[in-house]
Amino acid sequence: MATLPVARITWREATVAQVRDETPHARTLILDVPDWPGHDAGQHLDVRLTAEDGYQAERSYSIASAPEDDHVALTIERIDDGEVSPYLAGDVVVGDRFEVRGPIGGHFTWRAADGGPLLLIGGGSGLVPLMSMLRHRAADPAGGAADARLLLSAREWDAVLYRDELGRLAGGAAAPPSITYTLTRGTPPGWTGWSRRVDAEMLEAVGPPPATDPIIFVCGPTPFVESVADALVGLGHAADAIHTERFGPTGG
Amino acid sequence: MPTDPDRLVLDGNALAGLLASIFGGAEMTAAARGCGSCGQRHPLGEHRLYRGAGLVLRCPGCGDVALTVVADEARGVREVRFAGRWSVAASVSSRGE
Repeated sequence: MATLPVARITWREATVAQVRDETPHARTLILDVPDWPGHDAGQHLDVRLTAEDGYQAERSYSIASAPEDDHVALTIERIDDGEVSPYLAGDVVVGDRFEVRGPIGGHFTWRAADGGPLLLIGGGSGLVPLMSMLRHRAADPAGGAADARLLLSAREWDAVLYRDELGRLAGGAAAPPSITYTLTRGTPPGWTGWSRRVDAEMLEAVGPPPATDPIIFVCGPTPFVESVADALVGLGHAADAIHTERFGPTGG
Repeated sequence: MPTDPDRLVLDGNALAGLLASIFGGAEMTAAARGCGSCGQRHPLGEHRLYRGAGLVLRCPGCGDVALTVVADEARGVREVRFAGRWSVAASVSSRGE
């Protein structure tokens, strides 16, 4: 729900507490944010960097961590000719500080109490907000009961974010999520999974049937989101059950 | 890619921070907008965002302009124009501040 009235959103100083390389092109920053008010899975925050000459650049990033986690985590994919991501996903070191504001966004969010079935469809680093949902689900005993399925499209196996953690989640004891991968630009030897772009046939095979009224979240580059959302509607899923979030070249 | 203009289109979720700053901190991406042109209702987060010299948010149903934001650098303000009927809940229900 949208809300009124609330306090003006303020910029806070975040300190990089930990840095973790996820893939050759993406890095997770674990942040200390004093007085962080907490967030819902799927929300993002704005980052503001200020150069010595006063020039400022702002970017919006999805939060990767669960609401239950101690720290706020962002996973940032490096766009080589970008303005901000080469720093955040490359040069940044522990102890660096920059401003953040948030959490922001309320449309692309899921709380364990919302239940399921939950169908998450991610393209590339569109996995980040969906990962926050899966981590939240794993941390919340009530949410763990909801049927949850993730369909992740990536260029190649080495480009899959959080690969080990996804494997642990899928192998978990209590109501593990079902996780399906499709690789669009090459597969490792012995690959038996999908190896093409997400299409209606794949969605029908992987997703819960429309009659079960799943809550659906789709995040990825704009053309990916458009084609997946169209295919879902074509399969008979309710348009208002499909939550989409598009990302694209925002100047990096 | 630069050759495909569709890739530059985002959605209203990308405006969450800006809208919150305009609306005194309120979370606006889940607010439904009734379009005065086609009559459909869609959350602002599902509207299409086009970015150029300014920002233009359009109805996903018909493309009608819902919101434009243009920065007026000389005066240090943002000129904001809205169209349509926006439904905003009166009570606080979000953990967003």
